Amino acid sequence: MSIRALWVVSHEKGESGKVRFSRRFPTVEFRAKSLAGSQYVAVPEDRVIPQLLLTELGLVDADKSYVDIRDDCARQHRSPAVELLIDGQGGRTLWPVLTVTQGTLILACLPLVEAPPEPRPPLPSLASVSQGLAFLSGLQDFLCGSGGKPEPDVLASRLGALPSVLLQVCPLGRPLDIPPPSGLVPSAVAPSPGGAQKQPAWKAGVHRGRAVVSVALTEKVRSMQYGKSSRQDIWDVYGVLTLPPNGSPLQDILVHPCVTSLDASILTACSVDENDGSAFSGPYKFPFSPPLELFRLCSYTSQVPVPPILGSYQLKAEENHLKVNVVLKLHESVKNSFEYCEAHIPFFNQNLIGSVEVKVSSGQLEVSKEKNLLVWVLGQKFPKSREATLEGSVHFSGTVTGPSDPLCTGLTAYVKLYFRVPDLTLSGCCVDQHSVQVYSSAKPRIVTTRELVSSEYYIWNSTGDAPVSSGYTVL
Amino acid sequence: MTIADLWDQRISAFLLSPSQFLATSTSEIFLAELLHELRNDKINDQLKILLVSALLEHPTILCPSASVGEETALELLSIFSQTPQKSISLKCNVMLAITNVIICTSCLATHTKMAEDWLDLLFQTIQDTNDYRCGQSQQPLRATACDCLREMETCSPGLLSQKLEALYLLKQQETSVLHQSYCILYTLGLKNAIRILTNQKEVTDFEFKSILGGNEGFAWRTNQNFLPINMIVQVPQLPQGLDCKELKSIMSLLLEESYLLTPISQSSLMRDLVEVVAMVPGLSPTLFKSQLLRLFGTAEVVLMHATLFMKDTFTDSLFTAEDENFLLKRLVGSAQHPLLRIPEKLFYMDCILHFPENRPISSSGEECLPVLVTPRLAASLLPTVFNDSATMLCRLNLLCLVHLEADEGEADKGIAYLFDHIMALLKIVDSDGSREVVVTSFRALFIFLKHFNGMEELSEKLIDKLRDIYSRHCRLAPNLIGLADRIQECLDDPIWSVKLLRGLQKCIMEMPPLQLTIHNLSWHLKVLKRVAKEGQITQRNTIYLLLNVLINSNLCERGKWQIGNAVLAVCRNLLEHPSIDQVFIELADLLQYISVNYNDTDIKDHARFYYTLLTNLSWEKLTGVLAKGPDGGRAKERSHSAIMAESEGIASNLTVCKTERHVLQLIKIQDKVSQSTSESSESLEDTGEARNWLEVYQEQFQTPGFGSEVTLRYNLTHAEETDPLFDRVFSICLHFEFKDSNYAKVSDIHVPCVFRDRKPPEVNVQLKPFQPYPTTLCFSAMFTTQDGRSWHSQLPDVSISFPEIFLPLPIATNASSACREQVFDHIWESAASGNPDKSAISLFCFKPGDESLADLIKTHFQGYLITDQQSERFWKVLFFLPPMCHVLLRITQAEDAVQVSIATDNWELLPFVNSYLRNITDDCSTTVTDG
Repeated sequence: MSIRALWVVSHEKGESGKVRFSRRFPTVEFRAKSLAGSQYVAVPEDRVIPQLLLTELGLVDADKSYVDIRDDCARQHRSPAVELLIDGQGGRTLWPVLTVTQGTLILACLPLVEAPPEPRPPLPSLASVSQGLAFLSGLQDFLCGSGGKPEPDVLASRLGALPSVLLQVCPLGRPLDIPPPSGLVPSAVAPSPGGAQKQPAWKAGVHRGRAVVSVALTEKVRSMQYGKSSRQDIWDVYGVLTLPPNGSPLQDILVHPCVTSLDASILTACSVDENDGSAFSGPYKFPFSPPLELFRLCSYTSQVPVPPILGSYQLKAEENHLKVNVVLKLHESVKNSFEYCEAHIPFFNQNLIGSVEVKVSSGQLEVSKEKNLLVWVLGQKFPKSREATLEGSVHFSGTVTGPSDPLCTGLTAYVKLYFRVPDLTLSGCCVDQHSVQVYSSAKPRIVTTRELVSSEYYIWNSTGDAPVSSGYTVL
Repeated sequence: MTIADLWDQRISAFLLSPSQFLATSTSEIFLAELLHELRNDKINDQLKILLVSALLEHPTILCPSASVGEETALELLSIFSQTPQKSISLKCNVMLAITNVIICTSCLATHTKMAEDWLDLLFQTIQDTNDYRCGQSQQPLRATACDCLREMETCSPGLLSQKLEALYLLKQQETSVLHQSYCILYTLGLKNAIRILTNQKEVTDFEFKSILGGNEGFAWRTNQNFLPINMIVQVPQLPQGLDCKELKSIMSLLLEESYLLTPISQSSLMRDLVEVVAMVPGLSPTLFKSQLLRLFGTAEVVLMHATLFMKDTFTDSLFTAEDENFLLKRLVGSAQHPLLRIPEKLFYMDCILHFPENRPISSSGEECLPVLVTPRLAASLLPTVFNDSATMLCRLNLLCLVHLEADEGEADKGIAYLFDHIMALLKIVDSDGSREVVVTSFRALFIFLKHFNGMEELSEKLIDKLRDIYSRHCRLAPNLIGLADRIQECLDDPIWSVKLLRGLQKCIMEMPPLQLTIHNLSWHLKVLKRVAKEGQITQRNTIYLLLNVLINSNLCERGKWQIGNAVLAVCRNLLEHPSIDQVFIELADLLQYISVNYNDTDIKDHARFYYTLLTNLSWEKLTGVLAKGPDGGRAKERSHSAIMAESEGIASNLTVCKTERHVLQLIKIQDKVSQSTSESSESLEDTGEARNWLEVYQEQFQTPGFGSEVTLRYNLTHAEETDPLFDRVFSICLHFEFKDSNYAKVSDIHVPCVFRDRKPPEVNVQLKPFQPYPTTLCFSAMFTTQDGRSWHSQLPDVSISFPEIFLPLPIATNASSACREQVFDHIWESAASGNPDKSAISLFCFKPGDESLADLIKTHFQGYLITDQQSERFWKVLFFLPPMCHVLLRITQAEDAVQVSIATDNWELLPFVNSYLRNITDDCSTTVTDG
């Protein structure tokens, strides 16, 4: 249950990779050597690591269309672990190297294989693999935070803090914990609580500040709408919350380890299950002792009877222009009060947009600066009828071709919706402010919020072919 | 540049590539520098932590032997104890470094005193529970000590097996966040102790109980690393009927408190506890029942994984059929949960394919679908074009297995879906998908074909589609060839690949001539070359096409070598084609046409050569000549294929064969004769000419190359056991290379012959050091055997020790001993006064053992003596080391010890001098004092 080495490698476009941070654990290496005997493959020096990693991840020689060692079709890239070919094809390999890629950063670690060297054991039989995966996820949050790419100086300072973080969470290659989220360097430790009560290891300090329990419930809705009888539209909802909800059945519930006990009925609902009729519908109770940082109490998915916005998109090609027709209907159960709502209509594999003769029944229409996208800003509200339409034609001109997309060829095209509705969930899931019980001497204020956010919300052109996005609808 | 920046650079350079960094220095010097700087009070903790990191990451490079390891650990220990309490982070790092050094240099395994002291210190550190004694600021040190102990227990299982009661009490007392560290340390010790006990044949209740009550010293044994129980065929078990009451209550308490641990540590704890229960028949797996629900619902991949381990170990004694079904559903659900990360989801899919079923059908360790995974359950995992490539391939592989095993009706629908998915991918490829999409699509094709190649209708459709795509995108040629090759390798029946290749051949034939641009042609030629390898495909059309293209285009006039070579590569494969007799005339025409018309002499020559082969040899002989043997197959190594076009390994196959075994070796010639000259010439006493010998001495170095070389003499002999083939080897060329860059390149040495039954030839290797450090010389030999073949062989490395680089004082042989002494004294004085600035003085003392001092001096310093006043028990010795370093020794015998004063103009040599002196005075007791 240890890792032999850890790397953070960056690869900027057009440059070779660079090791930004690395750490080896020689005592683990010592064990690796004795376990593998004559089959032992030493960890190569850092200077060769980036090239090996980038080759394996298909990130080298971007200008060459086919490179054997990179593109061989029998090399299966479907596992969280890759093998590094140290001596090229057919030579010694370093396995299993776990990797996580975020932007230009590659995080990688090499778990110890506690098994006889031959034959290669299956990944799930190795304890250190899940530990390595969890550790890399934690490292990713530590370095990058929750929002994408950190600024170079922020990243540098976080990398600089990494040695002292490792001293605490992984001093000798055997992870004790994951790095703390968002570059937080753990503060001073808490004094031991009095008596025989033990301090949870995941709550190293004591909370200082105002006594507030704030509970946020974010629900995301995905949708694929085709506008065809031959193909069923699909939508689903998933959410994250930090306190117990009441409402329609939640499925696939995953809970944070700070939850002390669980009711079996909460876990039974599962989206992959065929008979879901008798599903438990709450209330869901989660007794827990919160850690100090922001955390995800519970994740779930849910199925709702209708999508919040039903759309139709029709595109027709005429001589040198396209006729566009989009209709969006807001379902009556959804509160007509958005923080924002936009429909993006991109055009791929065309010349740039010349003139646009399009009318909208509500909101404004903009053409993007790049001249390849119509943005329909619906604003905060749908009209009273709860229906908005866009109609007209788009002309393409000039000789400059816009962006290409191998998927959206011919009349295969989509409208993508972006919206956020505060104080709403589709599943009806909500946190009752009064049912939050806090066992604490301080009487905390309790704040609850909820929101609905779109995620991958597509409406496909019903006159063209649209790609299948879920196997469910076919079977 | 400040010292800190300088070190920052050096340490980063070292960590990036220790071998390159040490090429300009040695590990001894670097280690000495590190330790020296760590003792420097003037530099801050931050820098010291950086210095320690070198030892933390590469202890075995810096301490190549156990003795160096022990010394280094001692040094670090003294640094550790001198570091003030407030430098807590530095102390923790030094603590880790000591542990690393002790474990990695086998000090722990060989039970050295140092390791024992260190364990005592660590154990003492962790006894300060709840920071009662040292205060909370020292808590990190305690945490680090716990982890060091845990690592030592892991590397030497059973070390703590007699201390479990003490550890248990500590674990109970500790209430701060560190209780986690105590808890997992105790559990590991407990698990290992029980594991060791299972090796015993009979175990009494008393022995069993005494594990839990142990409060003695460390148990030194040499246990191998224990593999986890899922990796061994038969789980070791204690006998039935032992009284487990106490152990059971300990286990219950550990489980009850497990939720207080971080998920990662919890998973380690669970795994250890599972192993304990598996080894003790008196404990029931139902102990874990109370934790199951919490584990089932977890969002943490580590805990889910530990649960699967539990399932694998206990199967139906802990998990009912219902539990199993439920767990599998959770896995499938998690494998596509929108709120989990991609690597986790990929891992869950892997876990589904290795799901530990209660009633497994096979237990091969191969990917295998659990019976309970039905098409309906797995429907949510059907791949789509919106998936990232790893997820898509992973899902495709899983779903192929699902539908391979499904009932007919369901399978048909599922396979149709998967096929449509592949077609959708190919459509994207056809619409100029990016390189990544192309590669992923071909991987998907490979997975699909691997499972469903038997479904003729589908695989035919795929061939049509691929042919169609190729007609528009011939840059896909390497992908298609790769696919044909891989499918042929992985399936017994190569028919699909043959059909694909035949399709591609047809596609190229049918192409309108306009599309045969030079650019496209080179792709087509690659395909045709591959097609020509298939005996089942007729090649007439290929030959017609080539002839047609050459005649009707200006290719021959332009005479591009690459194109010509690509055409010849097709021809080469055609020559080997089994049905060549059917197209004999056509191929001959083609080759002749090229040999006459192609505007490149090399191509013409090759074509003529092929033509000659074709028209003069039978097919059997022809293929024999052309066949490229597998590597190492001697008979074919020298075949003419080496001179054919397109043989990829042209350089290596051309003439030189390789042998993995050592054929020859160098043996050092032991002699001490060469240095005796100076003594014999003493009679040439000069006539008191008042010459300043120092000036004379120093002037010599103005001559370029003076005194810069050391000559080492070796015998070149056969290695122990070699093939009789190598008994007589000729024209040997020895090629030398150093592992570092402290020496100038040594030019190749040629030896006419080496016969096993004759006196070995002598080889003089001239070394020209830049820095006179010990080194290792790697070398290889090229030679010819009697049958005329050439060989390349690596020879065993030759290490060059420090004394081998010693030379006597390079001064005219007629110089009197007085002159020598004058030079000696001058160098000594300037070294003592710090000139040049790398000078240093040091002292080495030892007690002469059985061997008398005079003997010692005679054996080791004979050729280097400047003054030999044996009567006064005083000697002066000078070693000259090229390019221009001196090591001077003044040896005096005091009453009970011999003092060796050392002076040198290069202090970096001191560690080597010390270890050299220590080496030769091995039987004597020594003390060293740095000057």
